[in-house]
Amino acid sequence: MSTEVPAHVSRSRAAEPVTLLEAISEALWEEMERDERVILMGEDIGAYGGAFKVTRGFLDHFGAGRVIDTPISEGGFTGAAAGAAHMGLRPVVEMQFMDFISPAYDVLTNYVATSLYRGAGPMPLVVRGPVGGGSRGGPFHSQNVEMAFFHTPGLKIVYPSNPRDAKGLLKAAIRDDNPVIFEEHKGLYRAPGCREVLPRQDYVVPLGVARTALEGDDLTIVTYGLMVHRSLEAAAELARDGIRPEVVDLRTLLPLDEDAIAASVRKTGKLLIVHEDTRTGGIAGEIAIRMNECAFEWLDGPILRVTAIDSPVPFSGVLEDYFLPSVEDIVTAARYLVKY
Amino acid sequence: MTREPASVPGFAGIAGPGRELAEDLVFHAFQARFLEDRVRTLSTAGEVDPCWSSFTVDVRAMVMARAMRSTADGSGDLCYPGGHAPGPALAFGATPLEFLRHMASRSTSPGGAREGGLSWTDTRRGLIGWGGRSGRMTQVLAGAALAFRRREENRAALAFEGRDALDSGGWHEGMNLAGAVRAPLIVVVDAEGSDFASPASDARAVAGGYGFAFDTIGQDPFEDLMRTVAAARRRAVEGTGPTLLQLGPRSDSQPWALHDGFLESAADQWGLAGPRLERIERAARAGVDHAVARLDQEPSPDPPDALVRVLTDAEPQSPWTRRDPPAPGPPEMSRPGTAHVH
Repeated sequence: MSTEVPAHVSRSRAAEPVTLLEAISEALWEEMERDERVILMGEDIGAYGGAFKVTRGFLDHFGAGRVIDTPISEGGFTGAAAGAAHMGLRPVVEMQFMDFISPAYDVLTNYVATSLYRGAGPMPLVVRGPVGGGSRGGPFHSQNVEMAFFHTPGLKIVYPSNPRDAKGLLKAAIRDDNPVIFEEHKGLYRAPGCREVLPRQDYVVPLGVARTALEGDDLTIVTYGLMVHRSLEAAAELARDGIRPEVVDLRTLLPLDEDAIAASVRKTGKLLIVHEDTRTGGIAGEIAIRMNECAFEWLDGPILRVTAIDSPVPFSGVLEDYFLPSVEDIVTAARYLVKY
Repeated sequence: MTREPASVPGFAGIAGPGRELAEDLVFHAFQARFLEDRVRTLSTAGEVDPCWSSFTVDVRAMVMARAMRSTADGSGDLCYPGGHAPGPALAFGATPLEFLRHMASRSTSPGGAREGGLSWTDTRRGLIGWGGRSGRMTQVLAGAALAFRRREENRAALAFEGRDALDSGGWHEGMNLAGAVRAPLIVVVDAEGSDFASPASDARAVAGGYGFAFDTIGQDPFEDLMRTVAAARRRAVEGTGPTLLQLGPRSDSQPWALHDGFLESAADQWGLAGPRLERIERAARAGVDHAVARLDQEPSPDPPDALVRVLTDAEPQSPWTRRDPPAPGPPEMSRPGTAHVH
């Protein structure tokens, strides 16, 4: 095995800026170095280095015993990862595209998520992979899968918006004793505007804690993933009209940081929820009812949402741009809410 | 206590399995049978869900599990007992009382009455319980076996699947993965299990396709059966590869024929007959009777306490109507301060 450390997993050690994709690679590498129980499983993650090259160089360094190329059988290798977790390992499973997690839905919801509940013990298992639209991937390579699992007790769901959070959250997920679904937006993987210098030392970002991406007091925009960036663009445009939204980046969807959302709503009195996922059954519905339960008296307007259309993700650029929430959509909804 | 596999010197190649092992086998065979009888009675009385009223006891499964290496400290082999639950589980250290607690949903059960079924998970003793679609557990045990291989441990995994596994896509995924990584795994498929579409009726061909060794187990003498499993275990831990064993037919019209045949073998080959056999039978029955008597004293689960173990670090919220009983009229809520005026 090679002792060489590839450049793309050591940029933070050299105080160089990293992309979100490199932040993911660094988190995996550092956790594998820190804890020999951490193993990787997935399709083409070994010799090929993964469809997006997240694990490039890992096989040479950590060997085939820890970087396991699997057959194309998401249900099978996720089930096997659960068995390995029972025996004390901490598997990180890569879905080549998160769209392909659906064959593993059964094992994740029926077996993995219920392990502790059934008395079968903790299940330290991370399932990670690329999600999201905007790259003309069409209906099979662009989905957001969070809400397919949001309804399952026993799971955690993480969806970072920037390299710093991605690295810290993934490390926290790997160290967590509960199963975690970790979504990485492809549009942020190598985005030029999404590079930053990360701390050189080891750090984690705790799961279940939202962050305030932008402070304001005219309305609250709750969002996550790529939509954090769209919301910040919208905030810049709204600022020209003197409107100052507060942007809350959820970072973890399950467990949901209800306190952080409520605190912001109590400050601004208005709530707009923005997600790239489709409208019906999206997380906006859950956030709205929770705020109805705990912050109704502070609301000075209806809770609104900006989401994708209830449609499979289109392939054509024209259609996909229309399908996805835009900066203009967010600006329009925010202006309406502020005037309400 | 560590029970070494039948392949270790002292067992392999001898004419009989040794007195202690023979008595153990007969004792567990009796207990499995008495347990099934009592579970049927409990089911009739409404104490146990009727769908779990039959273990489909096959004494061969118990003998096969006994050929593995069982420990109580998490360092031994692993067994998914499947529909053959009592025999293999007893061979891996489970007790009749644990079975009854589990099936009668007592708070003292391994799963705290949150889950029932034929088996449960106790990784220290090497037991993995059922969880999900047919064939699922071959995937899970393939991954567990992968962990053994990665740590170069002297451990193997044994999964009992019904015949319907051959018709399950999930089972084939588990077999494919186990073959690809040469997991130290032994899979037993029961030829008498349920049978759906049967796209893959030839288990031998399936085994070959996935790189498994293959053998069939019919009405062979029980010592041969132990040797077959012991040989499969040896191949597994040596890294030669996994094994698929097909369990031959039983008789539906005479469900206890194999069991009775086993006792005849015990008498003929091991000298366990007469007063010795009766003593073992009495002890086995007493154990089950004691468990049934104890079951009456075991408490039912307390929902607020029992339903908190969903995540390791957070408890689910119960409905607010149960946290704070509502007063008549609109629910009281704290009001915003006067500063909050737009």
